[in-house]
Amino acid sequence: MKTKKKSEFAKLPTGDKTLLTIGYVILGLFVLAIIFPIIYIILASFIDPITLQNKGLTFDFQHWTTTAYERVLGNSQIWIGFKNALIYSVLFTIISVVVTLLAAYPMSRMDFKGRGFFNTIFVITMFFGGGLIPTYLLISDLGMLDTIWAILIPGAFSVWNMIIARTYYLGIPRDLQEAAEIDGASEMVYFFKILLPVCTPIIATISMWQFVGMWNSYFDAMIYLNDASKQPLQLVLRAILIQSQPEAGMVSDMQSTAERAQLAELLKYATIIISSLPLMIMYPFFQKYFDNGIMAGAVKG
Amino acid sequence: MAEVQLKNIKKVYPFISGEQKKSKKKKKDEPEKKKSNLQITDEGVVAVQQFSLDIKDKEFIVLVGPSGCGKSTTLRMVAGLEEISGGELIIDGKVMNDVAPKDRDIAMVFQNYALYPHMTVYDNMAFSLKLRHTPKDEIDRKVREAAEILDITQYLERKPKALSGGQRQRVAIGRAIVRAPKVMLMDEPLSNLDAKLRNEMRAEIIKLRQRIDTTFMYVTHDQTEAMTLGDRIVIMKDGYIQQIGTPQEVFNHPSNLFVAGFIGMPVMNFFDAQLEEQNGKYFVDLNGYRVELSEDKEARLKAKGVKSQAITLGVRPDHTDVAKNGVSGVVEVAEMMGSSVHLHVNSNGRDVIIIVPTQDLKESYAIGDTIHFSFNGNVAHVFSKENDKNLEF
Repeated sequence: MKTKKKSEFAKLPTGDKTLLTIGYVILGLFVLAIIFPIIYIILASFIDPITLQNKGLTFDFQHWTTTAYERVLGNSQIWIGFKNALIYSVLFTIISVVVTLLAAYPMSRMDFKGRGFFNTIFVITMFFGGGLIPTYLLISDLGMLDTIWAILIPGAFSVWNMIIARTYYLGIPRDLQEAAEIDGASEMVYFFKILLPVCTPIIATISMWQFVGMWNSYFDAMIYLNDASKQPLQLVLRAILIQSQPEAGMVSDMQSTAERAQLAELLKYATIIISSLPLMIMYPFFQKYFDNGIMAGAVKG
Repeated sequence: MAEVQLKNIKKVYPFISGEQKKSKKKKKDEPEKKKSNLQITDEGVVAVQQFSLDIKDKEFIVLVGPSGCGKSTTLRMVAGLEEISGGELIIDGKVMNDVAPKDRDIAMVFQNYALYPHMTVYDNMAFSLKLRHTPKDEIDRKVREAAEILDITQYLERKPKALSGGQRQRVAIGRAIVRAPKVMLMDEPLSNLDAKLRNEMRAEIIKLRQRIDTTFMYVTHDQTEAMTLGDRIVIMKDGYIQQIGTPQEVFNHPSNLFVAGFIGMPVMNFFDAQLEEQNGKYFVDLNGYRVELSEDKEARLKAKGVKSQAITLGVRPDHTDVAKNGVSGVVEVAEMMGSSVHLHVNSNGRDVIIIVPTQDLKESYAIGDTIHFSFNGNVAHVFSKENDKNLEF
């Protein structure tokens, strides 16, 4: 295998070889740029902040500590945050994916009257938003303030995702629908039993985006939710971080201030790990749905 | 099992959507371009017109013609996948113009299989029956029966991607036959298969036809398929029917120059010749080589009152013989085909093909040799120079 690869590379003209090498180098740097911070943060979250500040990363396990995790996970609010984030993310993903896929279907049909009109309406929203204050007022008028709906509904429909789903639908051969039509399938049966099952890659992709987006978001929750019991993980972590910061104007001794600063530093890394760990664990389970070969065998390609 | 009647069927693709209107406007500004096989009228692009055909119960009809002749469009209109712009489609005595495909009791096999990729072969075949709420044991029986006919029983649990092209096409056929439809429509089902597999599947379809009693409508651009499968062949060009007849009829009595050139392999030889009528007898004169037409041809020409005139003469390569006397030509290419040799001869600037069976090969033909060829009066086809029609009909 190795010799085969080598010989293939050797067969290439010099220009291609150079280009390929440059490509690999850039790609390698890019991978490093992603991997290195992750490893750094994981390690840093276990290292005593003073050691980290003075020596950098060390594998002297005497200086390793789990204080940050104990502190963060010991906070009862964090578990509520976890639960809320999970509920919001799952519900938001379901609502968003359902709305997006259903909207994309008529938009993919050339015989849908008013397709151009709806397309224009949708695209306008991609360029112009209502602004923070008007949106807040609207949410307030709709009686959604401090409710879960303020988080779930406003962002549920994504025009961008709709366009992506529509484009994917358009790539599904028309013959499949015609075959289903002759077999006796109604539009609904075709959509749910034929089209959706062959669209799993795009459903998985959109679901992933929406889930991650909701999991990492805190701004909407910060604006619309007041009740501590409704706050998602990101808001709770933010609160923990802020609480640990030495407050300006607070009269305290120098040592206490320094300790708080160190703790804040330590907590910073631990919170990053805690908030992103569930996503990292989830990704491999999603990966099996990113199967490009789903359409293989349907039509002569 | 059903009779199908197509009465003056017409298909026009109208300019309705904004994009088409725009493109139409653009066309107005540009110098007029017209594709030879498309008729563009004020209504839109005409794909099929004046299509009338009565298909008998259990008949196997083949629509054949070059790309863009409207054969697939016609089939899709029968299927209900295309709206019928004009005329009447009657299946089993009922007008079906506005009936949904699922209520027409038809099944269709697509050129590119169109299998459901996420379902097993069994589920692909059972899908239509499930939608019709057929009892489970009956579905199972029908699917297994069809699978056995098509020899795909061992693949029932596989998904389409684990099958070869030929097996996939069998599944597509199986999906169509499980329902025992009134009319079975096939849209170039073999054109995606390689030559060997195509021959095998063609034989399979002939066998299948004997096992399942139904009316077939089959679209192909392959004349061999048309000739071997069809009870009757409909030859189409530019949206019009050129001729309807049994394979023998269209081969022996092509109604016009197009049919004569389209049916038969290698293509019929055409010559500029003269038709002469003398005392009720008809002769063709090809560069001084004079042949009297056969009695039946003469009778038909006489009945039509055909006079002496310049004609296009057509003689099939199989009916053109190398002779001592006749029309002269120079051998340009000699193709050894095994059982025969195809001689490409240049005669007065025209490429003439002569098929010489190997067993009759008395001499070898070298490029540049001058030879003579002749033909009999019963195989000469006479076409009008004015409208390309066969003067006998």
